Amino acid sequence: MEHYIILARSVTYAQRMQKALTRAGIRCQIYRAPRDLTDLGCAYAVRLAVTDLPAALTALHQESLDPVQIFLYQRGLYQEVSP
Amino acid sequence: MIYLDSAATTFQKPAGVAAAIWDALATMSSPGRGGYSAAMKAADTAFQCRSALADLFHLSNPEQVVFTMNATHALNIAIKSLVPPGGRAVISGYEHNAVTRPLAALSAQVSVASSPLFHPEEAVEAFRRLIVPGVNAVICNHVSNVFGYIQPVEEIAALCQKSGVPLIVDASQSAGVLPLNMEALGAAFIAMPGHKGLYGPQGTGVLLCREDVPTETLLEGGTGSMSLQQQMPDFLPDRLEAGTHNMPGIAGLLAGVRYIRNRGMDKILDRERRLIRSAVVELEKIPELRIFASPDGKHQAGVLSVVAGHQDAEKLGRALAEKNIAVRAGLHCAPLAHHNAGTLDTGTVRISVSDFNTLDEIARMAAAVRNSVMTG
Repeated sequence: MEHYIILARSVTYAQRMQKALTRAGIRCQIYRAPRDLTDLGCAYAVRLAVTDLPAALTALHQESLDPVQIFLYQRGLYQEVSP
Repeated sequence: MIYLDSAATTFQKPAGVAAAIWDALATMSSPGRGGYSAAMKAADTAFQCRSALADLFHLSNPEQVVFTMNATHALNIAIKSLVPPGGRAVISGYEHNAVTRPLAALSAQVSVASSPLFHPEEAVEAFRRLIVPGVNAVICNHVSNVFGYIQPVEEIAALCQKSGVPLIVDASQSAGVLPLNMEALGAAFIAMPGHKGLYGPQGTGVLLCREDVPTETLLEGGTGSMSLQQQMPDFLPDRLEAGTHNMPGIAGLLAGVRYIRNRGMDKILDRERRLIRSAVVELEKIPELRIFASPDGKHQAGVLSVVAGHQDAEKLGRALAEKNIAVRAGLHCAPLAHHNAGTLDTGTVRISVSDFNTLDEIARMAAAVRNSVMTG
């Protein structure tokens, strides 16, 4: 199923993102980032529905939570997208 | 046992603390180390604990809440982040060895802002004279662990802000009892134990870090983040939390913080003050005792020191221990405070209370002291 994942620098940062998104009424899950998406080693991300990305970015921006990277999962592949 | 040594650790904890520790042992693994349920439950609990502490001490970002082993660990990080070897520090006359020993290890040039007990205006003046540009850090405890003296940290913080000198507050005896507002103080760091006024288990501590203050690591190791990089992450809390977390401790600490929030810090302070005032009234009936009390009680928290004439404090401490009354005698790891108060030779007997003590226990302690002093 298509979805976006927003990479976070740490599990705590991902939790802050989740809290901000939940407060904005956006459903998301914390997710262990696939290894090949980051050259930094282990990472966490939040996963959300494709339709929620614009509102999610607004909510995160309002709380000064900048995504490290954003990926779209489509047809079994991740593709980086610009925020 | 009548437990009156809560300045060392609050031995009596809210019931929810033990339950939370058991739950953590049964259901939580390591936060930030996996995506399975036990790891995520640990991560969720750690985040809830950070968030609860951030709310309690007025930090907007829970990432600035770092878990440590105890207040000493937190103070070491704070001091070594700000004071370089041979650097300059200004401290109060009531600091604990957790402050003075790291400074000694750094061969720091230490200026002591000495002032008499329970005279906060004189403390402010002493700090005003010593806080000058070029000082690497000012370090002050909020409440003396020996005398319960509440130091004027708000005024000292204002002096630091005016001079651009970073402030480290040691909140070992005040966290959970007296209000502390990290943002209003503008402190670089506030260090505290988790196992005293916050009612968590032993082995927990907290360091609150201001966002723009760089930190030095005491430990390096795994953090569950940036694993390919051989330097520690440059972001908190990971930078200062190498290795596996004390999840039973953190879960217990969360339960302790929730107890404080539900009970109300003002009610806890009020109870502790009533207990200490009662102890003062009872102990003042024993002429041989020298009692270190704030005249109006305003500048004292839940800690009281007494000396029985020129008698070694350990003698009275032993006598009370034989009656199953737990107090702390000696120098309380704070020789500087005793030097400042003139009690270095004898030490003091320290009575320290928590939200779980009663007036009846205070009366029984006072009777035991009277009996011990009278019988020599």
